[in-house]
Amino acid sequence: MPSFPTYGPDEIAALDGVANAVLGVFGAKGYTRHEPAILQPAHLFVDRSGEDIRRRTFELTDPSGQELCLRPDLTIPTCKWQVESGNPYPARLCYHGPAFRHQPGAGQFWQAGAELLGLPDRAAGDAEMMGLAAEAVRAGGVNNFSMIVGDLGLFNTLIDALDVPAQWRGRLKRHVWRTGYFEKLLARMVAGEGSDAERTVDKLAGLKLMELKPTIENMIDAAGDAPLGGRTRDEIIERLTLQACEGESVRLDADVADLISEFLKVSGPCEEALERLRALTKPVAVKMLKPLSAMADRLHALKSMDIDPARVRFVAHFGRNLEYYTGFVFEFWTHSGEVAGGGRYDTLMETLGAPRGTTAVGCAIRTERLIAARAAQ
Amino acid sequence: MTDMVTLAVPSKGRLKEQFDAYLGTAGIALKQTAGARGYRATVEGHPGIDVMLLSSSEIAASLANGDVHLGVTGEDLIREAAPELDRRIALLQPLGFGFADVVVAVPASWIDVSTMADLDDICAAYATRHKKRLRIATKYTQLTRSYFASAGISDYRIVPSAGATEGAPTAGTAEAIVDITTTGSTLKANGLKILDDGVILKSQATLAQSLMAEWSAEQRSAAAAFLVPLGVSLK
Repeated sequence: MPSFPTYGPDEIAALDGVANAVLGVFGAKGYTRHEPAILQPAHLFVDRSGEDIRRRTFELTDPSGQELCLRPDLTIPTCKWQVESGNPYPARLCYHGPAFRHQPGAGQFWQAGAELLGLPDRAAGDAEMMGLAAEAVRAGGVNNFSMIVGDLGLFNTLIDALDVPAQWRGRLKRHVWRTGYFEKLLARMVAGEGSDAERTVDKLAGLKLMELKPTIENMIDAAGDAPLGGRTRDEIIERLTLQACEGESVRLDADVADLISEFLKVSGPCEEALERLRALTKPVAVKMLKPLSAMADRLHALKSMDIDPARVRFVAHFGRNLEYYTGFVFEFWTHSGEVAGGGRYDTLMETLGAPRGTTAVGCAIRTERLIAARAAQ
Repeated sequence: MTDMVTLAVPSKGRLKEQFDAYLGTAGIALKQTAGARGYRATVEGHPGIDVMLLSSSEIAASLANGDVHLGVTGEDLIREAAPELDRRIALLQPLGFGFADVVVAVPASWIDVSTMADLDDICAAYATRHKKRLRIATKYTQLTRSYFASAGISDYRIVPSAGATEGAPTAGTAEAIVDITTTGSTLKANGLKILDDGVILKSQATLAQSLMAEWSAEQRSAAAAFLVPLGVSLK
């Protein structure tokens, strides 16, 4: 059972005070305030963040049978508004209000947030958002914080650079943040799966390219008048052709698996961690050069924000567990817990109908936690 | 009445017959109460037991809420009704009938898919290609969510299905399903196949105790006495 707090006059004044300070920082940097409705269509979130978020979302059904929910975050409706408004990019939007999640304690929490949408220069966007969050946290009265940073883009580049079977690259990228599951996944890839579908690929692997398509079509037809279940024949043919071209009995090389594991274990003060990453990825140094120097630039930018690099931890497997994050991610921590976080989510805008390649980076500030952290300081 | 032990049993069908036969082997007989429209029964020699005849899914929900003390229904329905089983319901005894597997089934024409890991790839590719989530039709929302989560799959959405779930892919209302099967022949007739690692639960009829119900000392001893000939003890 969650708790149902009533906010008294002092608490409301404190919350308003912090919110105004944070929104003041956003406003001064050109972010305009927009407040999405608390009640939202459930599919908006389920379609973007998957069933996982549904478990943490308060859903309800209106009398006509429409599935609604209390917004579990403000990012998605804010981005949707930007797409539908037809307003020009880059757009800078911000908000402060309650969001709702099934979680220990209160199901309702307050957060302020800012979204920078459609700025082509990703490095500039990352630096702007990290600086904005730092300034907002300080404006909220919290100066004593540490940071965790990560970059899913770095990991994705590594997977593309290494000798990994094409059909498994997506799997590794998707599951990098699931500790435990990911290690099992790697072990399975080294061992090979030995499934029916894999035997199908083995059969196809010996064929010439021009024989592939008719052979696969015959195999699909052999399933009788089975439904296609919303997939097209071409989808099935394409996937099998890709796998067949990889050759039969695909296995992940044990050394490659080791390198991936070691990479994900890297965690520590950011400058040391970066050195360790450089050393580890030497076999594919050419391809890692660009994303690693981008990370070095971001860390360098921290100094100009008056953040001590010794208090910034780089954690290689750190991705936020809202799955729309795609690249650079960061969190601000105090002794009383996480107070702010954010990162890059470059694929979200396109799924909402924005032009292909529309970038997005944002942050969320937990205003109630700022008050608690300030009190504990 | 309030200090009676309520036992919920299936009101009709094969499950009821098999449960009656199971009780019969222990020399216990249920006697349907006249005038109660056949929805209540008593147990000879056990005046403290009040038998309620309910539908299988009502029994699972009643156990989860604590509306009944004991119940007999499928383990699939119990686990679906009470995801945090340990706190709410104790499974006392599998009964050896009412076997059914809860499985993940996909169209047989998906010759490139035979494991949950394949399905995971398909879900992600489908979301990218069609700009919407792959749909899973099921009445087992809770079981599906936790099994898919343990298999690392989140790029999908559940379409609640009240009946004839196996027809959803053909009807175009879902791409794949989670449903129960005993022989697999209904799935096959609908052009579906079970994934290699797609068995979520091997279910059977189960005698269960509600931990949410109020249990007085009198009720515990009445229930324990009833369960002795069945070789079952309370939690």
